[in-house]
Amino acid sequence: MSDLVVDCQGVTRVYGDDVVPVRALQGVDFGIAAGEWTALAGPSGSGKSTLLHLVGGLDRPTDGTVVVDGKKLNDLSESQLSDLRLRKVGFVFQAFNLIPVLSAVENVEFIMQLQGIGPSERRERALSVLDHLGLGDIGERRPGELSGGQQQRVAVARAIVTNPVLLLADEPSANLDSATTLELLALLRTINEERGVTIVTATHDPIVMDHASRRVLLRDGRIESDESVSSPMLPV
Amino acid sequence: MKFTLLVQLSWRNLWRHRRRTLILITTICVAVGSVLVLNALLRGMQMSMVETAIDNLNGHFKVVAPGYLDDPGIKKSFRFEPSGHPELASYGIRGWTSRVRVPAVIRSERETRGVQFVGVVPGSEDISFLGDVEIDGEYLSGPDDRRILVGHALAQQLETGVGRRVVLITQGVDGGNRESGYRIAGVYDAVGTGIEKAFVFTGITSVQELLAVDAVTEVSVRLTEGVQEPPVLHRLTRTFTDLDVRTWQDLEPQAAMMHEMADATVSIWFLIVMGALIFGLVNTLVTAVMERIRELGMLRAIGMRRGAVIAQVVIESMITMAIGISVGVVLGLLGYLWLADGIDLSAFSEGLELTGIRPELIPRLWAQDVVLVVGLSLVLGFLASIYPAQRAVRIQPLDAMRR
Repeated sequence: MSDLVVDCQGVTRVYGDDVVPVRALQGVDFGIAAGEWTALAGPSGSGKSTLLHLVGGLDRPTDGTVVVDGKKLNDLSESQLSDLRLRKVGFVFQAFNLIPVLSAVENVEFIMQLQGIGPSERRERALSVLDHLGLGDIGERRPGELSGGQQQRVAVARAIVTNPVLLLADEPSANLDSATTLELLALLRTINEERGVTIVTATHDPIVMDHASRRVLLRDGRIESDESVSSPMLPV
Repeated sequence: MKFTLLVQLSWRNLWRHRRRTLILITTICVAVGSVLVLNALLRGMQMSMVETAIDNLNGHFKVVAPGYLDDPGIKKSFRFEPSGHPELASYGIRGWTSRVRVPAVIRSERETRGVQFVGVVPGSEDISFLGDVEIDGEYLSGPDDRRILVGHALAQQLETGVGRRVVLITQGVDGGNRESGYRIAGVYDAVGTGIEKAFVFTGITSVQELLAVDAVTEVSVRLTEGVQEPPVLHRLTRTFTDLDVRTWQDLEPQAAMMHEMADATVSIWFLIVMGALIFGLVNTLVTAVMERIRELGMLRAIGMRRGAVIAQVVIESMITMAIGISVGVVLGLLGYLWLADGIDLSAFSEGLELTGIRPELIPRLWAQDVVLVVGLSLVLGFLASIYPAQRAVRIQPLDAMRR
């Protein structure tokens, strides 16, 4: 399956020591095709966040292999993993995690600065993405001056401005009200459909699950169900 | 990752807690400023001690006969022809003079005292305190002048004064007493009463005639300001192979020791002040790091490397230190300029005389001291950032996801 952006084979992740091991994932086989929007769901402790972290190169499996965009993460050094996260993966965090001392547009530019993109190009791309996401008028405001929904949209802008092959969102709606969540999901849908960005979300939120094109339910570190949705809920 | 980005981020991070940063910077600048002012005062004392030691007939170097310092007297004299050493002029020497110095007893009509009887070449004594001393009466007219100069304190002890006659008794080369009457040409006021009581001056030929010798007991050499001592010492030692060349440190060991102690005091004071300050800096930086665990984790998650995280903390520390040091140096310079005209310590003059410090303390701020304080402060600022940077780099990307 050459079009798989993510390919996990026999992935096991054990935390703790030999005396009290916590088996967060137990031999999971899992793949994500390019352009899919996958929702990882399940109760607390099911392993959905652990799987998301492994796919994002934030953690390493105890056993098994994780391949992202053709690169086997097990073989990468820490700096190579940093580089992979910088160039291939976009992150949207539960708590937005914008840099409070930078304005919205500077937050979006920041990741391009890490990539070494020149000032004029990154400013142009940052403004373009913010404008595309309906945030053109708040670019100079700092995160503290933005609503939760606006902050999360800026976080999405930061995640997609470098055109990553994979967008990972960990409980993206946890700090948002329902209306704002729907706006965010509409935005993700647009990104997924118009830009072809592969999205993986770990979530408890049924609204988020309803918008994904594929729902993977985990329980006790194993995949309990994996279903594709032919007609996910349309944006409001 | 670009350095300018790290500087930009660090700079903004510093001002997240404006009051905390300002307090820290204020502390740094007060510490640096106070260290520089204290440094200038100590250098002033130090140089005062050195100048006193050099002015008191020692010079930077003194050439004497072997054994003279252990048993000073006319038996340990040597012949010295000034014209026989034209090379001295090329040694970076401001001036030199020869003297005959012997222990003697001075007797007035009322009192008797033990003194050092010194025959000098008056025109060459601009290298010692005698060159610019205040004199009541007249200065000696030349090496043949048979009159004497006595110190103010000695004149009081002898109950004598200008124009009066006294008798000086000393030993000749053969061990027999030599004595002669002298008229007092002038009474001098030296910095300390110890000098005034110790030295009686006359023309060098006068003493040589009294002792029936054609020799001197010492040649005093004073360097031009800024000339380094060791190379000149080396050359003098090679020039006067049969004689002892002694430094002012050999001749005034107490002053030399206090000179070294001043250096140590400056260093200790610096370490105490900056050491206490560094604890504050470390504490602030650690607090700043712990407040930003989620943010630093996020930066690592989106691809910032460990080195960049370390650099960010180090740059924050260095920016704080740089601002504090810059303002501190200005503060120190202002303090120095305020005191530059001198501090009147005459109320403590008796105690200060023992140490060789003059009653008017002139602070000295040396560029090398400023550079040293600035340099060491920056080094300490860097060292202070290592532990907080280690704490920051231990933060894992997952910390951003879990919080």
